[in-house]
Amino acid sequence: MDQKILKKDQIGKLYNEFAGEYDFYAPIKEKGNIVFEKIENPEDIVLDYLNSKVPPKSVLFPQEEVLFEYTLDEKNVEITDRQNLDQKILIFGVRPCDAYSFELMANFFSFHGDWEDEIYLKKKENSTIIGIGCNTPRSTCFCTSVGGNPFKKGDMDIFLTDLGDKYLVEAISDKGKEMVQKLTWLSDASKNDLKKAEELAKKAEELIVTKIDVDTVVKNLETNFEHPVWDEISESCIGCGSCAYLCPTCTCFDVIDETDHYNNRGRRIRIWDTCQSCLYTLETSGHNPRDTKIQRCRNRIMHKFSYYPTNYDLLGCVGCGRCVAVCPANNDLRVILNKIKNIEKKEDEKVVA
Amino acid sequence: MPNPYIPYLTKVKSIVTENKVNDIKTIELEFKKEEDYQKFNYIPGQFAEISLIGKGECPIGIASSPTEEGTIKFTIKKMGTVTSGFHNCEEGDIVGVRGPCGNGWPVEEMKGKNIVVIGGGFAFSTLRSLVIYILDEKNRKDYGDITVIYGNRDPGEVLYQDVLEEWKKRDDIKVVLTIDREAEGWTEEVGFVAPIVKKVAPSSDNAIAVICGPPIMIKTTIAVMEELNWKDEQILNSLEMRMKCGIGKCGRCNIGNKFVCVDGPVFSLAELKKMPNEY
Amino acid sequence: MGIEEDNIEIISSIRENAKKLLSEDQVDLVIGYSEGTVPLSSTPVIIRKAEDVDKLTWNNLCYMNLARYLAPLMPQLCDREGNALRIGIVAKGCVARAINLLAVEKQVDLKKITMIGFNCNGIVNRSKIDLEIGEKEILEVVVSGDDIIVKGRDWEKKFPYDQYINELCKVCKVKTPSTTEENCIGECKELESIHDEFSDIDDFEAKSAEEKWDYIKNILEVCTLCYSCRQACPACYCNLCFVDQNKPIWFGKTTEYRDIFTFHLIRATHLAGRCVACGACASVCPVGIDLNFITRKLEKIVKERFDYTSGLDAETLPPMMDFDMKDAQEFMLEED
Repeated sequence: MDQKILKKDQIGKLYNEFAGEYDFYAPIKEKGNIVFEKIENPEDIVLDYLNSKVPPKSVLFPQEEVLFEYTLDEKNVEITDRQNLDQKILIFGVRPCDAYSFELMANFFSFHGDWEDEIYLKKKENSTIIGIGCNTPRSTCFCTSVGGNPFKKGDMDIFLTDLGDKYLVEAISDKGKEMVQKLTWLSDASKNDLKKAEELAKKAEELIVTKIDVDTVVKNLETNFEHPVWDEISESCIGCGSCAYLCPTCTCFDVIDETDHYNNRGRRIRIWDTCQSCLYTLETSGHNPRDTKIQRCRNRIMHKFSYYPTNYDLLGCVGCGRCVAVCPANNDLRVILNKIKNIEKKEDEKVVA
Repeated sequence: MPNPYIPYLTKVKSIVTENKVNDIKTIELEFKKEEDYQKFNYIPGQFAEISLIGKGECPIGIASSPTEEGTIKFTIKKMGTVTSGFHNCEEGDIVGVRGPCGNGWPVEEMKGKNIVVIGGGFAFSTLRSLVIYILDEKNRKDYGDITVIYGNRDPGEVLYQDVLEEWKKRDDIKVVLTIDREAEGWTEEVGFVAPIVKKVAPSSDNAIAVICGPPIMIKTTIAVMEELNWKDEQILNSLEMRMKCGIGKCGRCNIGNKFVCVDGPVFSLAELKKMPNEY
Repeated sequence: MGIEEDNIEIISSIRENAKKLLSEDQVDLVIGYSEGTVPLSSTPVIIRKAEDVDKLTWNNLCYMNLARYLAPLMPQLCDREGNALRIGIVAKGCVARAINLLAVEKQVDLKKITMIGFNCNGIVNRSKIDLEIGEKEILEVVVSGDDIIVKGRDWEKKFPYDQYINELCKVCKVKTPSTTEENCIGECKELESIHDEFSDIDDFEAKSAEEKWDYIKNILEVCTLCYSCRQACPACYCNLCFVDQNKPIWFGKTTEYRDIFTFHLIRATHLAGRCVACGACASVCPVGIDLNFITRKLEKIVKERFDYTSGLDAETLPPMMDFDMKDAQEFMLEED
């Protein structure tokens, strides 16, 4: 049978099976926050979580990443490329929204074909994603409004469903099927197991209460760049960048050279950056194309819901709701999208929370 | 796929000061490996991300034309830490080059047309590349008349004086130089670029105009061109934006849904009017 | 009794005063707090018409320091030419302190600002509650009587109010705006100085240098350098923050501990004698870091050496911007 059962106390066994060959990443609890880290001890793995604070994009697109290293010796410069892009990576316990974000990032990094981001793409190629469905989506989740689903399986290699005391294991891709075949000690799933999984999937979808008319939003954004609604939308924003850092699809970065002058060596690295920073577009001449908060706030929304669809025919948002949960000024994206949706209408609608 | 963030290594062959106040220099680079030079196929209007390894990287338009074989040239104004670093370079120093980036001037579509090149100040570097390319004996017959209008603040700011002298001697190119205010010893035009363009009144018949310069110059010149019946599709601009990766990955240089580093830096006026005014 | 009742009174007084200011055309707009759309939060809001005052609220989750929007003055608070409008601002004690500080540092024009003052009764400690609830979703938070009641889908938990407010709120001595009636409608109380034992940091002070280092590292390690703390702080208004300077580059920008530590150390030093103890930095941190014991320590040093507390009035310069011949200088080699 294709569908197997993994008992909750067998996670350690799964880990031991693969930890030698793969860099094994899974959610752990670090000072009260769920984050994806490389696992040394399978006891640390936490799968009973709502969603991670920092999205798993940090595994394939870390906050700081070396582009290359160099040595400086008088007039001589030697450059060393990265060595470890062939390492296999296993990301365990990913939610469907985040699994989809990996696909979106791969799409972005391979666009503009002359220059593909080999670093991300190679790591993605060498990654296997074992995801888990969301039995209890949060009230801030809205994946169903952007083409997702709490039980969407297509972007993963193996899909787990939490049946209470055990997980239903479904191999989705060829890579996943190969992996499941290696786990000969998994028991078969029964008809009841499959039935329960279906019921959980149905219940989960019903629990998503936030519904946003994204089609109208995308349509309205085509023509309302200068609309006064942006003044209101950006009112409470403090320009911190939490939304961008914790967004699974935000990929903007800065490039800096870090040099150890005493030892004549250094590295060029890229680090996460955010278009919400007031100096993001500042040119050396002093001219700043986006020097007001209104422009910066607008740029982020346009990027996700207008530029992405125009360039790639895809939405740039996976509906995970992290930006909604974390924004210090409670500048709720759902409220923003509703305001944009209502641009042609006059009435004020309240968000269903 | 090679790592797109690793630069080719080049050596500084020469550094020439271009202006009197000594804050603009043209740096000539020689690739360390011949095969890298062969891979670096560029057309006029493209730029490269050049770096002082350990200091930083910046996007600079390529000033040399692909017809000038053997080396590549960049004209750099001293403005920040990296550009100051370039100004302090000596012969033999190592400079990293990544590219060529950007879309460049559409030299194929410009064939068979009359070309009007309008430049202001320091922005003339990729225009130098374009004109030398067109004037090259392999290419000249493919293009119609060429008119160059180049304005500067004062005579000390005029770049590439040696090259301009060569052009003035030819009969298949019209060169009009102008400076903002009267100056001793200056015998050519006096006035801002826009009124001089009006005076020269280049015909829009089967022609393409290429405009590069400070924002105010571009704005006033475009107004004059519209009076002279030039259409938006016939006017090309090269934009500047803050860039980091230069290859459409870091997201910084977007104007609307376009990235200046891959969809530009060359945009026609028609395209610009459809983009948000954030540049 | 207690907190819940106080809140009802506070809300009513804020709305009444805002209505008065707007309908009598004493201000062009009022900036205050509105009900948040997710639990444990509130949204800063601008209202421009007297009939909108019901949008304003107060619910112990109003942790943002509204003075943050005054410097740099955000475009929504300016007219078309960029001049400041007449602004009414809902002010708890620390917001007023921040406004006073900005006035002293010449960042705001006090004549254009009217504070709507009230006696603040504290801000709920979001990260402490999040930590206790763990991975269950919080759907609602209400203050009932003297308890904070946190509700989920099928569970409920109670927390005693006075133990679960921000640490800074527990020791706050400036709950009411310290300003003159000229600048304020509602409650206000001009203070010349405050008395503070700083006993809340005795534990921290008793640690050895090594223990302090480990204690701070343990808290700071999770920092993601998102700069929310800096953005939420009313005293951080520099056009070019030290983070973004490149002549010289003060610290690396990675999340390696040395970079994280340097950022927080330098920012804390820039705030010495200026921090108004509003706790917004800790409340906005997405990973729940609370460094307010460091700002308390700095506040204690400033009080002991200069007998100064920031933000009590709009005239006295903070000690780091001023000098007095009577300043202690025992660190000099020779006494004068």
